[in-house]
Amino acid sequence: MSSSDPQVRGADYWSAQMAAVALRRDRDCFMRIYDHFAPRVRLYLKGLGSPEAVAEELAQEALLRLWQRAGLYDATCSNLSTWLFRIARNLHIDRVRREPRWVPMDDEPGWLDKDDGSGFSSAESHADQVDLQHRIERLPAVQARLIRMSYFEAKSHQEIADELGMPLGTVKSSLRRAFQRLQLGVRGQA
Amino acid sequence: MSPRHHLDEATVLSFAAGALSPEMAAVAATHMEICELCRDHLSDAERVGGALLGQQQPVAADTARGARLREAMLDLLDEEIEACPVEAYGPSTDALTADCLPRPLHPYFGRSWRALRWRWMAPGVHMIRAARGSGDTLILLKIAPGKSMPMHSHQGTELTQILQGAYNDALGHYAPGDVADLGNEIEHQPITAPGVPCVCVAALDAPLRFPGWLARKLQPLVGL
Repeated sequence: MSSSDPQVRGADYWSAQMAAVALRRDRDCFMRIYDHFAPRVRLYLKGLGSPEAVAEELAQEALLRLWQRAGLYDATCSNLSTWLFRIARNLHIDRVRREPRWVPMDDEPGWLDKDDGSGFSSAESHADQVDLQHRIERLPAVQARLIRMSYFEAKSHQEIADELGMPLGTVKSSLRRAFQRLQLGVRGQA
Repeated sequence: MSPRHHLDEATVLSFAAGALSPEMAAVAATHMEICELCRDHLSDAERVGGALLGQQQPVAADTARGARLREAMLDLLDEEIEACPVEAYGPSTDALTADCLPRPLHPYFGRSWRALRWRWMAPGVHMIRAARGSGDTLILLKIAPGKSMPMHSHQGTELTQILQGAYNDALGHYAPGDVADLGNEIEHQPITAPGVPCVCVAALDAPLRFPGWLARKLQPLVGL
């Protein structure tokens, strides 16, 4: 695959596109982001149980929100796909499940870094992102399945346990181990 | 306030994934409002979500439909956009007084401690059960100081955040800010600390199981 293949464009590429949107309302850059991410957001929302039409509507809204809030984007402290994930998840909780939601799940980019001077920064390099992708791909099969059921089907621990005929404690410990494995990548501690 | 008892990472992951019930999420959010460590974990878990979103491989779908959606988006970009009001993160500026309940609990219990209408459940035990709900149970519990709760276990998950006072059990000392994230393998008998009543918020996804005669008497009273 060549580096111009959108499939292998990394976090830094999308950050640069988004920075151009933030800086000069660049429509071409925005539509590149749209073309790449809109089908992915639609697929994600359909997986959570939305009918096609609802998934389309919410995906449009999620992408439009990037355009509207572009000024908030800071490429040094937030990954574009993480921001978009947060927006799409929150839209699903607000509109489809109609549940109360709180500021701790805000959909601003990089919101977690604003409230203290702890020195923790979520800044992530392209290398970190690639490393995380690899770690996800290398998860043992059971852990990968539980991760997918959590993120893409929004299943609770108990629902996963029931569906797979697995003890609840095993579901929790497997998810914990999966998270710890991935976290090494996120934190760049490996 | 720096909590010593934290959320299970599996719970944080499910919170990030939007896979907790609203009741469990309310307790988890109450903890995360004051716990930097668990917020860091949340940030990591959201990054995993972002990476998974990026890894999705959409099949080439209905191209005509995709083209219409694309046109619609281009039209939207032309519209004059009012800047969306953005809620700032951080301690809420409104009514962050001693009387203010943690914000994630407002939809369930209102904003004010003083306005809470406690119901007597058993000697030294008061409770409020949230009216709205998805099937899981969300309760506020107020237990008099120095009181021993019946030994009990759980069929499912119990998530309890201490808001005031403290209790001790075999797992340790739980003070304000601490969360007990317990699975069904745990049997415990909390004893509240002397001094002030212990107030906690708890989410349960299955009825409690009390062994023993006292518990069998208490269970119908508590109605859990």
